[in-house]
Amino acid sequence: MTVTGFFTDSTLCIGCKACEVACKEWNEVPGDGFSFSGMSYDNTVTLSASTWRHVKFVEGEPIIGTGGNGGAEMTWEFSSDVCKHCGVAGCLEACPTGAIIRTEFGGVFIQPDICNGCGYCVVACPFGVVSKREDDGRVFKCTFCYDRQIAGLVPACAKACPTESIRFGELDTLLEIADARIEHLLSSGMTDATLYNPTDSSVGGIHAFFLLRGDPRSYNLPPDPQVPTTLLAAGWKSAAATAGVILAGSLLAFVLGGSE
Amino acid sequence: MSEAGSGRASETRLEALKEQALRSGAVTAEGIRASGGPLPPASPTTGYYGTPLFHEPTWTWEIPLYFFVGGAAGVSAIIGVTANINGLNDLSHDARLIAAAGSVLSGVLLVSDLGRPGRFLNMLRVIKLQSPMSVGAWTLLTFSTAAGVAGAASLIDQPGGNPPLRLLGDCSAILSALTGAVMATYTGVLVGATVIPVWATNVRTLPAHFGASSVASAASLLEICGHRQRGLGRLATLAAAAETAAAVHLHVRTDRSLEPLKRGLSGALTTTGALLSGPIPLALRLLGSRSVRSRQLAAVSSIAGSLLTRYAWVSAGKASSRDSSIPLRLDRPASTSEG
Amino acid sequence: MPGLGTSFGRGGATTAQQDLSNSDAILIMGSSMAENHPVGFQWVVEAREKGASIIHVDPRFTRTSAMSDIWVPIRAGTDIVFLGALVNHVLQNDLAFLDYVIPYTNAATILSEEMKDTEDLDGLFSGWDEKKKRYDPETWTYAGDEFEGSSGHDKGGGGHGKDRGGEAQTFDSSIRDETLQNPRCVYQVLKRHFSRYTPERVERSCGVPSEAFLRVAAAFCSASGPEKTGAICYAVGWTQHSTGVQIIRTAAILQLLLGNIGRPGGGIMALRGHASIQGSTDIPTLYDILPGYLPMPIFDAGVTTLSDYVQKHRSEKGWWANFDKYIVSLLKSYYGEAATPGNQFGYEFLPRLTGDHSHQGYFLSMQKGEIEGLFVMGQNPAVGSPNSRLERKALSALKWLVVRDLVEIETASFWLDSPEVQRGELNTEDIDTEVFFFPAAAHAEKDGCFTNTQRLIQWHSKAVDAPGDARSESWFVYHLGVLLKEKAAAVPTPRNAALNALVWDYSTHGSIAEPSAEQVLKEINGWTVEDRRLVKGYTDLKADGSTACGCWIYSGVFPAENENRAKAREAKTFLGHGWGYAWPADRRILYNRASARPDGSPWSERKKLVWWDAKKNEWTGNDTPDFTKSKPPDYRPADNARGDDAIRGDQPFIMHPDGVGWIWVSSGLKDGPLPTHYEPLESPFRNSLYDQDVNPAADRMAAADNAWAASPDPRFPHVLTTYRLTEHHTAGGMSRTVEHLAELQPELFCEMSIELAREIGAEHGGWVTVSTPRGIIEARAMVTPRMRPLEVEGRIIHQVGLPYHWGQRGIVTGDVVNDLIGLSEEPNVKIMESKALVCNLRSGRRPRGQELVAEMKRNAEQASDRLQKAGGQS
Ligand SMILES: Nc1nc2c(c(=O)[nH]1)N[C@H]1C(S)=C(S)[C@@H](COP(=O)(O)OP(=O)(O)OC[C@H]3O[C@@H](n4cnc5c(=O)[nH]c(N)nc54)[C@H](O)[C@@H]3O)O[C@H]1N2
Ligand SMILES: Nc1nc2c(c(=O)[nH]1)N[C@H]1C(S)=C(S)[C@@H](COP(=O)(O)OP(=O)(O)OC[C@H]3O[C@@H](n4cnc5c(=O)[nH]c(N)nc54)[C@H](O)[C@@H]3O)O[C@H]1N2
Ligand code: SF4
Ligand code: SF4
Ligand code: SF4
Ligand code: SF4
Ligand code: SF4
Ligand SMILES: [Mo]
Repeated sequence: MTVTGFFTDSTLCIGCKACEVACKEWNEVPGDGFSFSGMSYDNTVTLSASTWRHVKFVEGEPIIGTGGNGGAEMTWEFSSDVCKHCGVAGCLEACPTGAIIRTEFGGVFIQPDICNGCGYCVVACPFGVVSKREDDGRVFKCTFCYDRQIAGLVPACAKACPTESIRFGELDTLLEIADARIEHLLSSGMTDATLYNPTDSSVGGIHAFFLLRGDPRSYNLPPDPQVPTTLLAAGWKSAAATAGVILAGSLLAFVLGGSE
Repeated sequence: MSEAGSGRASETRLEALKEQALRSGAVTAEGIRASGGPLPPASPTTGYYGTPLFHEPTWTWEIPLYFFVGGAAGVSAIIGVTANINGLNDLSHDARLIAAAGSVLSGVLLVSDLGRPGRFLNMLRVIKLQSPMSVGAWTLLTFSTAAGVAGAASLIDQPGGNPPLRLLGDCSAILSALTGAVMATYTGVLVGATVIPVWATNVRTLPAHFGASSVASAASLLEICGHRQRGLGRLATLAAAAETAAAVHLHVRTDRSLEPLKRGLSGALTTTGALLSGPIPLALRLLGSRSVRSRQLAAVSSIAGSLLTRYAWVSAGKASSRDSSIPLRLDRPASTSEG
Repeated sequence: MPGLGTSFGRGGATTAQQDLSNSDAILIMGSSMAENHPVGFQWVVEAREKGASIIHVDPRFTRTSAMSDIWVPIRAGTDIVFLGALVNHVLQNDLAFLDYVIPYTNAATILSEEMKDTEDLDGLFSGWDEKKKRYDPETWTYAGDEFEGSSGHDKGGGGHGKDRGGEAQTFDSSIRDETLQNPRCVYQVLKRHFSRYTPERVERSCGVPSEAFLRVAAAFCSASGPEKTGAICYAVGWTQHSTGVQIIRTAAILQLLLGNIGRPGGGIMALRGHASIQGSTDIPTLYDILPGYLPMPIFDAGVTTLSDYVQKHRSEKGWWANFDKYIVSLLKSYYGEAATPGNQFGYEFLPRLTGDHSHQGYFLSMQKGEIEGLFVMGQNPAVGSPNSRLERKALSALKWLVVRDLVEIETASFWLDSPEVQRGELNTEDIDTEVFFFPAAAHAEKDGCFTNTQRLIQWHSKAVDAPGDARSESWFVYHLGVLLKEKAAAVPTPRNAALNALVWDYSTHGSIAEPSAEQVLKEINGWTVEDRRLVKGYTDLKADGSTACGCWIYSGVFPAENENRAKAREAKTFLGHGWGYAWPADRRILYNRASARPDGSPWSERKKLVWWDAKKNEWTGNDTPDFTKSKPPDYRPADNARGDDAIRGDQPFIMHPDGVGWIWVSSGLKDGPLPTHYEPLESPFRNSLYDQDVNPAADRMAAADNAWAASPDPRFPHVLTTYRLTEHHTAGGMSRTVEHLAELQPELFCEMSIELAREIGAEHGGWVTVSTPRGIIEARAMVTPRMRPLEVEGRIIHQVGLPYHWGQRGIVTGDVVNDLIGLSEEPNVKIMESKALVCNLRSGRRPRGQELVAEMKRNAEQASDRLQKAGGQS
């Protein structure tokens, strides 16, 4: 099976939220609450168990006579966020039940019939994607439309996108397309265009990667995400040492004997 | 529109809201929040309107309590063996009982924290060494079985009773001691090997910290049960010393990610926890080592301290998850070269 | 859409959205296409990626601006100044595509000596009748032709009937000066008319820095000539003004001058509203036209017989010479057997207009208690219509009200929970209106078709059964008709003659006896009377009563049994031929004869579409030729030629008697032959271009609860405009009730600049109160740099924006923005001015209950007094 991916190109996104709604409709994701956030036109605020595609609105200061596409300055950028389907997935590594698996499409999938809601994946995701649904007890996130991919269909969000801002396809092809695209944009004067795909971090690249304008941090994307498993060695060493000390210590403590 | 997915929890909420809308002509359901005053912008120095990058850890009150009980039970199991080796049979007997009881309670606490407790057994579908939670689950299982058997054995076992039973008891006791050592320390790895800044930065110290605190609580428990062996005192004193050192070490570090351990509710919890499990019992034991009362006091203080410490760390983790300035490196100058 | 109708001949978008991808420049103005036509916008993005410059002129920086290369903030209601300046820019710098303009437009035509321009009469054209408050177009005609009166100007008659571009004169002896030198020729008149519309004027009136304007001018006007084309997209940001039709006219003039009509990548993309709003003007839900833009007969207009009527509306030259065929075929489809030559094919059965029966007109009658009952099907006036407070109160004056909708909308529940009831203005106990609510089936629950924004008729098949008692419109109307006909049959009085004559023989199927939608479409397509053979197209229609046709322009959509072309689903060309059916005759780009030079060869390889094939002796190309297939480019009509034969082989605008595009509209428009800038009915400024402040022919509809502010009125210093959000649909019945949409924009907000927020002390996310002389509402403050203060007439003005989707019902609720809007009528299409008015803005929530009622009363009185004192027009 070929590894598939998402290339989400913010410079083509019109902020229509069709992806967000299509995802919720197809996957029967429950509502996210009716709250006015004041965060530009974004009222779902973050990826979560109840929002698997999330369109972010980053507002800048418009300049009369130049539109949002004006080369150098970015004015109102829309970017559709989603589970990154990490090359090395913190959530998958951490899951004690094996509920989280890597599918034949290379996607990271939570088997809802296995998850027992221990919540450990929540603190293991370097992108703050997966979260727990209180009324259900389990955690949820983008399934990469595994059911649709099995059936040979395009994921609902990509299908709904009117401007091909969400490109779905074979990962390697997408990576090439992305390189060509960024080349084109930079050479045509959009100097702040950047690809977000932490390939050289412990996450080892992501299957859902992004083309953005400006600094990824404005979009809540960590500059150098790390998979927590990188911390295991240090942790276990310290644990082993401590365990040894305790064992030896308590033996000695009594060998020396004495009491009242 | 109701076809959208009738019967779903959200739909029932939707129905409720509709009801309210029809009755009162206005929806006041919780969740309707105003941004409340000016927001930070979306920028390289404020992140995305200052919204947290991570979701809060989902752990509720059971988990810190489990850390405490599991740790104490683990070290009790160890004492159960080492005391026995040194012929301190009463001590060993009680230690084994505490370990057994603690191991059972641990299981209960861990399971009840799950979103789907009925599915605890799914933990046993796989053995994943890269998942501290998986390692922990298996450890707890072996530990509680071993500690249980050991405890039961020493209950049934009469003076001069039957050797096979004693052998079984001792073997399982040894097993429980070994896994107990893991119980006392692995929770430090469990918490440390995550993305939560305040936990991750302490991944090295946490196992030692939790280990020491487990020793203190186990020893103190046995003292409170009336055991007077010096050994217990020595263990408790050493642990208190270690805890004091840990507190001092924390105090001198200025790392931003340690904020939650110093400010706010979690900060207060940490400080109190540290005082109760470090300096106070240490002073009581060194100065008043002759007086039973002061040793009793020290024991109580250590137990309270180590319990509080576990709660402090979990609440610090929650506070830390709300601050994205560390994972987003908001202190770094703006640039677009990342990724 | 008389703006397009009078200029080109047909009241529909001249092009298809797919074709926008071929544009070299796209001017989006009066529309936020990315937000409200997101799917069509993909072709704008495509054009942009191919290097076209995308221009958005809008009071706000919207999601569309964010996708554009140039955004220009403009003061709402000043588009004619901006567009007029573009026209002037073209004329002053000789940028017009003369090879196109001279043969294909009436630029060379000489106008009559009596005609006086707004430059001569300080804002009025000759022919204004101050008493009757209307224009007499006699002096607007071409020199040499004689005046013969025109339907569009009769009392009560609306402008929709003139969508066919009617005319007031014979076109026998008009004179042309192809050198364009004659001072009375349209070109020169136009030049004088717009001479004062300069970049400096744009800066002064629109608040647009002249360099920004010049950037737009350079970018758009370069998209002209043989190798290049540019398109203009507009929607209700243009139409909902007291000068709406004339704004569109200015765009039409600009496109004619640049040679951008009838060519690929060119045209004017009129972006319509509801999924089938184009369909509901073609087969009208309007009061003043019959299907296919045939004018509705008017009572007491010197027209009594069918032949008078035909005489009046048929033109001797051009396509409309066929007028009689279309009306007779329509009458035959209505009255069948009962329509005979003997009884003028039942012309007498048709109702007559006796006045203004437009939406706003009849709500005023309702307010006065002159209307007993009302059917509301697929509309939510309690939220969506101007001065909704007035309209909700008017509903309470009805005896009975029938509402058919998917959900119980505000209009159906006004008696129970309307703001008026809540604040004690109305009292449920005192409301006698009997309200009937019928659940309606939605489009997926019934067969039928939509006619979309580009005249494309698309069939949709029923996917699921409608829930419970929900029924389709056709079910409801058909069975209601059956009952009415039964009653009428029992009492065969003359009064009931029409009902008794009406053919009502639709076959029904299924347990609920659903009438067959396909049969209706066949009736629309038309058939021969004696053997009911479906006609191939409107050219088969006859005036002798041998054919019946429900809507001539759709004829051809169902050319044979089992050939429902609206069902076609295989697009074969870039214009989408093979997917659905575009009226007329599946032409995707109208007037496409103009895509070839007068000699029939393409203007250029890059821009070829339709051309003359000399070998085959016929027009051919990538679109269905909008021209008589076999008429050679060098065809010249005989002197006595009539109808289409009177159109030369090099005249692309075949609906027009003179075969050319109309820069000058000699009749058919009620507010002038050329566009002129007037201030909105409510404005912070008086008109600094002319003495005439507002469109003289527009109507402020004086009525209780419909007070107006003087221009200017210091109490209402800010410009207010209203619009849509992608996340919601219009009055919200379809979005505020759906969780996955409602959560995306849960609350009504008010967009304002940071500067204005500081001025009134509003906090982002907090509450603000917006008031006009008609209403007071509260909203969340959306403080954003996307709103810019503008410098107009030497002072800083602020613009305030409100999306209008909220009401008191549904999952998320909010105040009704339309409580702020006044009832008013643009003269041609009787639309309200909801895009440019004035308001007051203050921080904090609005008062409640009686206190609120009192403040509204006070505002209305004070505003009216001031208006009185200001006197006259402003
Ligand atoms: N998602 C969504 N799509 C829709 C609809 C919907 O409700 N939701 N409604 C459908 C319907 S019924 C219609 S009619 C269309 C309407 O489509 P649009 O006309 O695009 O809708 P609006 O948002 O009302 O107005 C468009 C823009 O006009 C600007 N504007 C206001 N005043 C002026 C002015 O004086 N001059 C200029 N140049 N611009 C001005 C506003 O700022 C706004 O950005 O959309 C259709 N599509
Ligand atoms: N201030 C301000 N006011 C405006 C505008 C503006 O820009 N500013 N825009 C104006 C424009 S362009 C428009 S089009 C109007 C729209 O205003 P309205 O047409 O009054 O509002 P809608 O919500 O579109 O009403 C359509 C209703 O039809 C129902 N419906 C949907 N499908 C069916 C069906 O098959 N059968 C039946 N019986 N009902 C159905 C929906 O549930 C909905 O309640 O608003 C106008 N008002
Ligand atoms: S983004 Fe988070 S949830 Fe998604 S795969 Fe990576 S670690 Fe797992
Ligand atoms: S919550 Fe579910 S998916 Fe996440 S780690 Fe626990 S079992 Fe795995
Ligand atoms: S891939 Fe499927 S599940 Fe994931 S965001 Fe897209 S639609 Fe939702
Ligand atoms: S559907 Fe496409 S264009 Fe619309 S918001 Fe999502 S990504 Fe952007
Ligand atoms: S809602 Fe329908 S009509 Fe409107 S853009 Fe989407 S597809 Fe087109
Ligand atoms: Mo509309």
